Amino acid sequence: MPVPRLARAVGALVLAAGLTAGCGSGSDEPSAPTGATRVFTADNGDITIPAAPKRVIATGYAVPALLEAGAPLVGISTWRRGLPMMTPQTRAAYDTLAKVAGESAAETNYEAIAQAEPDLIVIGVPKPVLADIELERLRAIAPVVALGPSLPSGWRELSRRQADAAGALATFDTVRDAYRNKTRGIAAKYAGVLPRLRCAHLGAYGEIANGNFQREFNGSWGTNVAQDLGADYYGQVKVKGGGSKEVSEYPSIEELPSAFGEAEVITYTIAADGSTPGGVRYVLDSPLWKGLSAVKAGRVYPLRYTEATTYGSAMATADAVDKALEPLLNS
Amino acid sequence: MTTVHTAPARSRSGARTAWFVVAIGALAAVAVASVGVGAHAIAPADVLRALFTPTGTSDDIVVRHIRAPRALLAVGVGAALGVAGVLVQVISRNALAEPGVLGVTTGAGFAITVGSAAGFTAPAAGELALAVVGAVLATAVVYAVGRGSPLRLVLTGVALSSVLSGVSLGMRLLLPDVFDEYRFWSVGSLAGREQAPLLVPLLVIGAALVGSVLLSRQLNAVALGETMARSLGSNVAGVRLGALVLITVLAGSATAIAGPILFVGLIVPHLARRVAGGSVPWLVAHAAVLGPILLLTSDVGSRVLLPTGEVPVAVVTAFLGGPVLIWAVRRYGAAPL
Amino acid sequence: MSAVVLRRGRFSVRVERRTLVFAAVAGLVVVGLALLGLCYGAVWASPAKVFAALSGDSGVVIRQWRLPRVLAGALFGAALGAAGAIFQGITGNPLGSPEVIGLDAGAYTGALVALTVLNGTSTQLVTGSVLGGLGAATAVYLLSRSGGLSGLRLVVIGISVNAMLTAVNSWIVLRAELEIAIAAVGWSAGSLNGLGWDDVRIPFAVLGVLLVVLASRSRAARQAGLGREVAVTTGVGLERLRLQLVLIGVGCTATVTAVAGPIAFIALSAPQIGRRLAGAPGVPMLPAALTGAVLLLVTDLLAQVLLAPVPLPAGVVSTAVGGSYLIWLLARKVGSR
Repeated sequence: MPVPRLARAVGALVLAAGLTAGCGSGSDEPSAPTGATRVFTADNGDITIPAAPKRVIATGYAVPALLEAGAPLVGISTWRRGLPMMTPQTRAAYDTLAKVAGESAAETNYEAIAQAEPDLIVIGVPKPVLADIELERLRAIAPVVALGPSLPSGWRELSRRQADAAGALATFDTVRDAYRNKTRGIAAKYAGVLPRLRCAHLGAYGEIANGNFQREFNGSWGTNVAQDLGADYYGQVKVKGGGSKEVSEYPSIEELPSAFGEAEVITYTIAADGSTPGGVRYVLDSPLWKGLSAVKAGRVYPLRYTEATTYGSAMATADAVDKALEPLLNS
Repeated sequence: MTTVHTAPARSRSGARTAWFVVAIGALAAVAVASVGVGAHAIAPADVLRALFTPTGTSDDIVVRHIRAPRALLAVGVGAALGVAGVLVQVISRNALAEPGVLGVTTGAGFAITVGSAAGFTAPAAGELALAVVGAVLATAVVYAVGRGSPLRLVLTGVALSSVLSGVSLGMRLLLPDVFDEYRFWSVGSLAGREQAPLLVPLLVIGAALVGSVLLSRQLNAVALGETMARSLGSNVAGVRLGALVLITVLAGSATAIAGPILFVGLIVPHLARRVAGGSVPWLVAHAAVLGPILLLTSDVGSRVLLPTGEVPVAVVTAFLGGPVLIWAVRRYGAAPL
Repeated sequence: MSAVVLRRGRFSVRVERRTLVFAAVAGLVVVGLALLGLCYGAVWASPAKVFAALSGDSGVVIRQWRLPRVLAGALFGAALGAAGAIFQGITGNPLGSPEVIGLDAGAYTGALVALTVLNGTSTQLVTGSVLGGLGAATAVYLLSRSGGLSGLRLVVIGISVNAMLTAVNSWIVLRAELEIAIAAVGWSAGSLNGLGWDDVRIPFAVLGVLLVVLASRSRAARQAGLGREVAVTTGVGLERLRLQLVLIGVGCTATVTAVAGPIAFIALSAPQIGRRLAGAPGVPMLPAALTGAVLLLVTDLLAQVLLAPVPLPAGVVSTAVGGSYLIWLLARKVGSR
């Protein structure tokens, strides 16, 4: 969808009255949740939400987070990019739930959301994309909490806030603690090796059409779980660009020697199915890559599942990193 | 073309030859400059040393494996698009026509997008074949539907292009995995193509350029109008079909290796017409040199403006070409060819 | 050809009989589609329920959500069709549509700048896209004015401006964060999804005024379409009339784009389809507007049905529907020869 609308509160109030009347709830104050409420601080301000929501709608990044946290979901947006990361149980839940929106915020089916009769809507899209959503119309259906991603490594706090809003912190914290235990264990294994090495990461979002590659530093998609295991991705971006460009940059392929020349270990992103993405293959095939000292030393490791945005899926990432880096222990 | 040997015609011909020589000189200069420019500048002496006596330094690798293939690619693609643009404008007798309106570019891009959506992860050579097949199919459809008149041909081409790009847009909204693939093929670029097999497509382009020169004399008659061409004894349908095949091959291979660089096919014929007049053989010759110059200059510009190579060359061609085309139209008008 | 003269006091309008029949049929189709649009949704409402909702207080979903969307489909479609007819009539070229000469691209540039450089609030996006559309139109107009608004010239200049703006747009999207890029791509295919009364009230008023003014100028525009000589002898100030028409066309396109995003191909195909169905000479306004309304209503319904419950952007479907129909029309014409 197009342009965000100049929505006004008056229309929304009229709407709310009519809607819930149609649904037969008979409440006099339909947009305010029945039962105990609390005030929650989200990207879109301080929102009054039910203390224990019963029927939750999730979109965007909130979909995998709330599925995993076992929130009482009644409808979700599609989330194809997260599918390869889902466990079979999560995937089964994803498949059974009603889809009320598509991949992009523009593809939101407001009538389907209204029909699901939610008491809370959690929107997990980045702030600029919020403009694509009729927040007023959604607010007429149920309280709307917008919690979107900012930095790539910020999924830890983000998914916790989303789970908190949906009243699903208990399960969430169990999974989080399992992740922390796991990474602590793996980090201990590598304590003598990994922290002393200068690491660099080649990301998957380089554009062949621009002849560039993506270098990820600490705190980016490809690096944040490996950091939990003790890896340090030295250096920082030349020009900070906000969002993911605070922690990753896109130099020309000609600059490969100056970017990765000093790295002792290079990790690179591969797809969940183990295939090498085009932008990465382009770099691996370049004659300049073959001249790098880390490549000559054979210290180049592919990492799977770097797109994790939940603790549950990040456990798979941690295992994958562990498996990939194993040769370091024997050297 | 029946050349009448009068004094003005001879001086015109002399001017054309002089311009042609100047253009070739300019092309050589731009080509050398383009190899020296990039993420960091390399002196001309070092460029020559890297080309002829390489020692395997990273500068040598950059020159031999990244910049030289890129310059070669620009020359081939520029010539192919420029000549294809001339042929389209001549057979459609429409100053607005360009290879893109015949659906060649969209067909090629669409075939690749569909291929990746269907999980067809072919090597670069397969992708190239896919693009050419898509271009041929699109052109065949447009020609079958729109062969009645030049205007209808253009209209059908635009309609088909729109349908295909609409379907592509829908697909990339539904399949975000294809999105990155689509971004690659939606803006033409010379960067990052150096690893693709270039020899076969460049040879194909070379052969098609030769074919265009051979066909250009018959096209001269067609350019005068169908009735005139028939009375001069030309096989109008045959010549048109030949030109269509050449356009498809030229623009199809160019798109397959560099993505859609539309503007070159529109602007080069207009520029060539300023120096070559209405003679199709001269138009083809000038377009074959002006196309590479435009593309190489744009490519150098893209690397000077943003050394990270972030600006695809198609963006720069539009920026260089747009104002030039506007100037040409304002200066000379847009009379039909 | 038979014609009907409608008289009311001093005003008289001479209408071809076939055009009149077409207008009546198209009007009925619009009403039928609108009713279908009111019935269709997450929950199907019977026509009886729809009428009850329209007359009474019940059925907020129908009155507050579906009604503005359906009305927007009809009115926006009519505005786009009329804008297309204006530009195609003035330029005398079916390719001379707003989306071809850069108005949509300009509006998109404005919105992209608001989305990436500024904060991307609603007001900024709307203001940005209107300013962008007006800017593009002004540039095209000023650049092509000095030699009169000669058709081909304006289209070529428009295509140049469009190419430059499209290049800028691609560049912005390529530079943008992946997240913003995906949102921007969603925006590039217009949609009526989520439109409420607050969104459409002002655009409806603006479009209403523009269409009424256009209707009052349509007789003069028809004469202008017959050629400069006739227009001059009947005392129509041709340049002034064209300027007025261009402003109306720009207003229609920019208003629709600002609220719904660029809905491609309606402006390009509606005038051509309407002209053929109505069997009228030139590029008449009324058939174009009615066809535009039908096209956009059908498009919006399909967009909701195809992947229900997930709605597709109408712009994606409009491209496929309008383009396919145009190709079919062209093919049928060829076949009947």
